[in-house]
Amino acid sequence: MLQIKNLHVEVEGKKILNGIDIHIKKGEMHAIMGLNGSGKSTLSNTITGRENYTVTQGDILYKNESILEWSPEQRALAGIFMSFQYPTVISGVNMTYFLRAAVNSKRKDNNQKEYDAASFLKLIKSKLEDVGMNPSYLKRSVNEGFSGGEKKRNEILQLLCLEPDLAIMDETDSGLDIDAIKTISEGINNYKDKSKSFLVITHYQRLLKYINPDIVHVLIDGQIVKTGTKDLAIELEEKGYGWLEA
Amino acid sequence: MNMNDYHAEFEKITSRPYFSDKINGSRTKAFEKFIKSGIPNRKWENWRHTDLSIILKEKFRVPEKIDAPNNEIDLKDFKIEGAHTFVIYNGHYQESSEPLPEGLKVLTNLEYLERNNWGNNSIEKSPFDLLNTSLCDSGISLVIDDNIELHDPIQIVFFCSSNDQLMVSPRINVDINKSSSATIIEHYIDQSELFFQNTSMVISLKDNASLNHVCIQSNTDSAVNVSNLHVSQMKDSRYNFFQFIDGGGLSRSNIYTYLENENAECFLSGITLSNKKQHFDTNIITDHISPNCTSHQNFKSVLNGNSTGVFNGRTIVRENSQKTDSRQSNKNLLLSENAMMNSNPQLEIYADDVKCAHGSTTGALDEEALFYLRSRGIDHKSASSLLIRGFVSELIDELNNLDIKNYLFNRFDNWLKTNN
Repeated sequence: MLQIKNLHVEVEGKKILNGIDIHIKKGEMHAIMGLNGSGKSTLSNTITGRENYTVTQGDILYKNESILEWSPEQRALAGIFMSFQYPTVISGVNMTYFLRAAVNSKRKDNNQKEYDAASFLKLIKSKLEDVGMNPSYLKRSVNEGFSGGEKKRNEILQLLCLEPDLAIMDETDSGLDIDAIKTISEGINNYKDKSKSFLVITHYQRLLKYINPDIVHVLIDGQIVKTGTKDLAIELEEKGYGWLEA
Repeated sequence: MNMNDYHAEFEKITSRPYFSDKINGSRTKAFEKFIKSGIPNRKWENWRHTDLSIILKEKFRVPEKIDAPNNEIDLKDFKIEGAHTFVIYNGHYQESSEPLPEGLKVLTNLEYLERNNWGNNSIEKSPFDLLNTSLCDSGISLVIDDNIELHDPIQIVFFCSSNDQLMVSPRINVDINKSSSATIIEHYIDQSELFFQNTSMVISLKDNASLNHVCIQSNTDSAVNVSNLHVSQMKDSRYNFFQFIDGGGLSRSNIYTYLENENAECFLSGITLSNKKQHFDTNIITDHISPNCTSHQNFKSVLNGNSTGVFNGRTIVRENSQKTDSRQSNKNLLLSENAMMNSNPQLEIYADDVKCAHGSTTGALDEEALFYLRSRGIDHKSASSLLIRGFVSELIDELNNLDIKNYLFNRFDNWLKTNN
């Protein structure tokens, strides 16, 4: 599904990622753990095509194609999704309008019939239930006045609507209480199947109690210093990151 | 136009047999004052950012009989559902066989204006009002007596069509008497190369009267549209003004509102959408003459291409106008590096127990928000359209007439399609 090969990335002339190799197969869930400033978010932003993240070496292959030259929307339409660490507030654009525009651009790209307002409302209402959001959210502006937890639920809602093949969860658990983490994990677990791949980026081990990554990588100073199973996450929780830095 | 040209056009108007000596007397006084002041230039404080040299450079003439419509005017693209429509064609009111809405009186001669001292003494302030008084040869007065609720909107379509460069000066007078209410739409359209429209509108709201006023300017790219609006508000009156400009070459709106008695409310808002070399200027003075009044100014612009804009909003709170509640906001979105906005909200407060606030922001589209939308598969153009729509929709949404709202959203979406 996703092959990251010897990836070097600079942001405003500063080297952040220094040769990363990750291979996520179809149906696999990988977790990347690391401290602040280790390059976790740079990695997710580079995969989704954000401007100012310059790849100086290496490649990113998605379904065996290099995506480095693709625009963010091309990547999204091809099935790459990122749950934002800090979802953006978009004043004046209401949730229904936004979600329908997103879902319809995907359907249009797949030569499927676009949803009209009524049929979309039906679809979205069942998805809202799945993430425990009240239909009143649909009338509000995107993320405006949403609490931290509501913003993250909204990210999962978009995941369920857009049905990506590869989902990157960028610190989805940060700033959430245990109940919210449980709800969000349920959303991820319900969505996960043999055809979907996940890259879960997290600071702490606690999210990994509720979801089961197949592989865990530890990122320090822009390099993967260790790769293992879920046990590695537990070990990290006990020992901290210090023993890996050498 | 030099001053001799104005003299020649003024002679044409005053020699028309249907005007009384009294009316021509008032005109002459106004014309003399106009000649003395001349057309504003950029040294005038309130005209610094608006270049009127086109009016000096080009020649215009007043409309003649040949400028009357030859056939039925096709208004289907401009008709607002449910509204009663009047047409002012090349500055002249067109009689219609359609019955008037109940409760509305329409007076089509200038005597009513003369009787009311042309509506208001203060309209001598601006040279363009003086020019309007001098050259106007058709006007209408809409009068609503006490205790009448006019349900359907009145739409006044100002239509210009000529192969010559016309200078049209329509005059509209609106009197809403005690405890009455109405909705009026001013709508400017044309099929001309270049013309100069200088409209004056004088509105009087008596005690507890209420008016929703929508002004839509959808002229073609070369039109010069100066509109002069004077609103006098008495006790407990409520005035809601919404301006929507999506066309014209040079537009200048002079808006003067006077809160003359207690508990009057004056809400002014608007959206201007510009591209290419268009220049739209909104200049407002809200004068709190009495205590306990409320006024809001809430204007937004979207500028693309090499277009330029001006917002000059001034609120004056007089010494005895205690408990004034006044807010000004001007927000502008620049879609191009070459577009420019001059924003200047000003508060002039002489009273000490008031609640006043003002603010202004000008900037490009939010890159974070654009990326967020694009990361959901929405292409760059659609994403920016979505953000621009989000920026302006709040103001259109506040309109309470659904037909007007739908009409304006349609116009806005069409503008976006061709200009973003």
